[in-house]
Amino acid sequence: MADTTVGKTDTTVAKTDTAGRAAPTVWRAHGTARRSTHTLRLRVSAALVAVTALAVLLVPPLVQLDQQTVDLAAKLLPPSWAHPFGTDDVGRDLLLRCVYGLRVSLLVGVVAALTATVIGTAVGAAAGALGGWADRLIMRLVDTLSSVPHLLLGIFIIAMFRPGVWPVVVSVALTHWLSTARIVRAEVLSLRSRPYIDAAVSGGASRWRVTVRHLLPGVLPQAGLAAVLMVPHAMWHESALSFLGLGLPAHTASLGTLIQGARGSLLAGQWWPTLFPGLFLIIPTLAIAGLAGVWRERINPRRRSELML
Amino acid sequence: MLELHAITAGYDRRAPVVRDASLTVTPGEAVGLLGPSGCGKSTLARVAALLHRPASGTVVLDGTSVRHYRHRAPRAQRTAVGVVFQQPRLSADPRLRLSDLIAEPLRATGRRASAPARVAELADTVGLTPDLLTRRPHEVSDGQLQRACLARALVLRPRWLICDEMTAMLDASTTAALVRVVEDYRTATGAGLLAVGHDQTLLDRWCDRTVHWDTVTSAARKTPA
Amino acid sequence: MTERPPAPVPAPAETGAVTAPPPAPAAGAAKTEPAKTEAAKTEAAKTGAAKTGAAMTEAAKTEAAKTEAVKAGPATALPAPPAGAGAAGRAPVLSVRGLSVRFLLPGGRRIAAVTDAHFDVAPGECLALIGESGCGKSVLASALLGLLPANAQTAGSAHLGDLDLLTAGERTLARTVRGRRIGLIPQSPAAHLTPVRTIRSQTEETVAQLTGERNRSALRTAAEQAARRAEFPLDHLDRHPHELSGGLAQRAATALALIGDAPLLLADEPTTGLDRDLVDRTVDELRRHVDADRALLIITHDLAAAERVADRVAVMYAGRIVELSEADAFFGAPGPRHPYSRGLLEALPDRSFTPIPGLPPELGDLPDGCAFAPRCDRATGLCATLPPVTGPVACHHPVPAPARTPEDVRA
Repeated sequence: MADTTVGKTDTTVAKTDTAGRAAPTVWRAHGTARRSTHTLRLRVSAALVAVTALAVLLVPPLVQLDQQTVDLAAKLLPPSWAHPFGTDDVGRDLLLRCVYGLRVSLLVGVVAALTATVIGTAVGAAAGALGGWADRLIMRLVDTLSSVPHLLLGIFIIAMFRPGVWPVVVSVALTHWLSTARIVRAEVLSLRSRPYIDAAVSGGASRWRVTVRHLLPGVLPQAGLAAVLMVPHAMWHESALSFLGLGLPAHTASLGTLIQGARGSLLAGQWWPTLFPGLFLIIPTLAIAGLAGVWRERINPRRRSELML
Repeated sequence: MLELHAITAGYDRRAPVVRDASLTVTPGEAVGLLGPSGCGKSTLARVAALLHRPASGTVVLDGTSVRHYRHRAPRAQRTAVGVVFQQPRLSADPRLRLSDLIAEPLRATGRRASAPARVAELADTVGLTPDLLTRRPHEVSDGQLQRACLARALVLRPRWLICDEMTAMLDASTTAALVRVVEDYRTATGAGLLAVGHDQTLLDRWCDRTVHWDTVTSAARKTPA
Repeated sequence: MTERPPAPVPAPAETGAVTAPPPAPAAGAAKTEPAKTEAAKTEAAKTGAAKTGAAMTEAAKTEAAKTEAVKAGPATALPAPPAGAGAAGRAPVLSVRGLSVRFLLPGGRRIAAVTDAHFDVAPGECLALIGESGCGKSVLASALLGLLPANAQTAGSAHLGDLDLLTAGERTLARTVRGRRIGLIPQSPAAHLTPVRTIRSQTEETVAQLTGERNRSALRTAAEQAARRAEFPLDHLDRHPHELSGGLAQRAATALALIGDAPLLLADEPTTGLDRDLVDRTVDELRRHVDADRALLIITHDLAAAERVADRVAVMYAGRIVELSEADAFFGAPGPRHPYSRGLLEALPDRSFTPIPGLPPELGDLPDGCAFAPRCDRATGLCATLPPVTGPVACHHPVPAPARTPEDVRA
């Protein structure tokens, strides 16, 4: 990798030796290979996320078809030109159902992840910045909640509401802020012992100002990363709840309800009602996770100083 | 007067790093505290800067006995002491431009309006160009960053300066330049200085008197580095 | 040792062939690397010119070419160090010619971190590369180890024996160079050691990696031997890095660096943050490992440490090596000749403690001429052009050379 000679303009007259002759400097690049795979992953993930976003944002307003249109004459048709993903057991177009389902799942995922991150960041930052008994109390609570299985807790929360989108969001959000709180607290604790916090205290900054100006900005990249990584997790969680029949009502298309509704036909050899919603769940979540991975490398402080000053 | 009486301090109650240390700096005086690395002198410097609560002992700052440390210390007391640490990379918030870094204490104490003029003045004093002021810490060298950290310590015009190994990472010329900035400031304001370090030649040249760690603490022999 | 470096005593002719670097601009003709004999040294001192690799005049080249057959004479005519004198007839361990490193930044900015560096490190010699932080010293070290980030470009050559470190692939560097032919002594040993493993397990692992030894008891013996060489106390081998004092952590790191028996030890700021006694002990220990076959390149901003350990000193300013000099002459009489080096020495607290006025230039925006001119009291209009490197100093107005060189006094 080390011996690629770069660019014609890079041969510059850079020096003069003692005899007064000018000699060209031949520059070699290093480590180009690593960068290109990096970019490839970034591009593929970004493209997939963009397609997903466009689909869920543009298809419903632009395509004037009703996803709920029942056509019993066309039930369980395999994929064809008219129905690229086939139809379900009451003849609804699966492509349209999948797009609408993805829309609901993404909505649940994004809102739940954001809510969980906000709660987690606030709790974690409070624990880390306050320290002492407040920290111990908060973290004990977090530990207790973590010891209850996610899904169980989620079901418990859902059971308190009437079925719908928002109970699912609340259930997913309330079960997912714990890890963020831990990450943020650890990060705050490590930042808090840095001399620059000492310098801020010595410069007269209040506790609030130190937390808001110096500690929180330091953990935001981590928290943001946690939020992005949580979107796929929340989507899966929603699907799991819906699959169990506890999440969204069956007539609301979400990826979870679609897969759940297709269980029967899978046994009858009809694969498309399961496969396509499954792919719609897997591919966007992988793409989001891929973007998050690139982001993680970006915020890695070692990468920041490429100058090595 | 900056008086430290029988200070015992550390991070673990059973094994304090500083035992029974006493030291006095009179106004306008420059005292060098000399000791090997890891002996606890940085901890003592943090106590003197009201950044670390000692397990026992008293700090008397300008006649007032210090009761609270860090955030709980009254703001006027905290800001009467300016500190510069050893590692500029760790003492600068990586997200702030150098001009914001220097202005931060002014903003934190509600003197936002005076910031631009004061920053420009201090940048000139410590030898930072306007171009450098717009950069973030990872875009400047250690020496340049330490100049900014010194400017930040001076921005509130403290009556006391604590330089904890301020020049340990720096080359000879930057060391001499920063020491000159500190000395010019002290000449102009009469501020007292506690310079902590391990370089006897430097401290002897810089300070009015140099005290060795062993003479400051009675327990240096009990706490090996 | 599976991959031992080539025997350090190649025939002069062979050396000439392999170390003449194709793109090295300052030395167009194929040349023989200096073989350091007392005779050669005197010769170099007499001609008074051509002390650095970069500094070769045409005259000196011809002169050298003529005398070379008889005396194994020095083409680059670096004044031989005292220790190097014992290693007569040796090719340099490391030979750097026209080494430049630049970083490409987004937006087309270019940072010239190192520009046109020329120097040799002879066996048995310690060369100290000094300069202020951000002058490009550490980048130079990273370039030698092939550890530059992806946005870096290099030019020139850096020959370690017959291998050009700058064009060698990552596999070669990882498998045959790092640890085996260059031992790296890191800036902060405590951070360099793995915190969760004992010194013994890390030493044994390094031995296993470098020698291919798998036998447990042999590994144990080898690890203890390595510790003994660096004077690391054997009863501390089972401790974790955080249980060691700064000095012992430094010795542990040195022990690891010495395992590969590398002909070149590269110490990048090994004394940062250590107190004076520890600095002295550390550099003395490094010095002990420089022997007939091995050389030490120490990169530091600590002039006192450099004075203590170095045979020769290379001063770097704004990415260029501006002066290459005998350590005795540099730190003692007659002193450095480049105004920057003078200023740096004068800034020491035991000298006049006066800083050099101004700031070093930005490496992304270097002037066309001498980079030091804006801060220099000797600068004239001439300094708007790049100083030609004649002799050991890259300056238009160096402090005049003394009539008698210290070599004469010593010899």
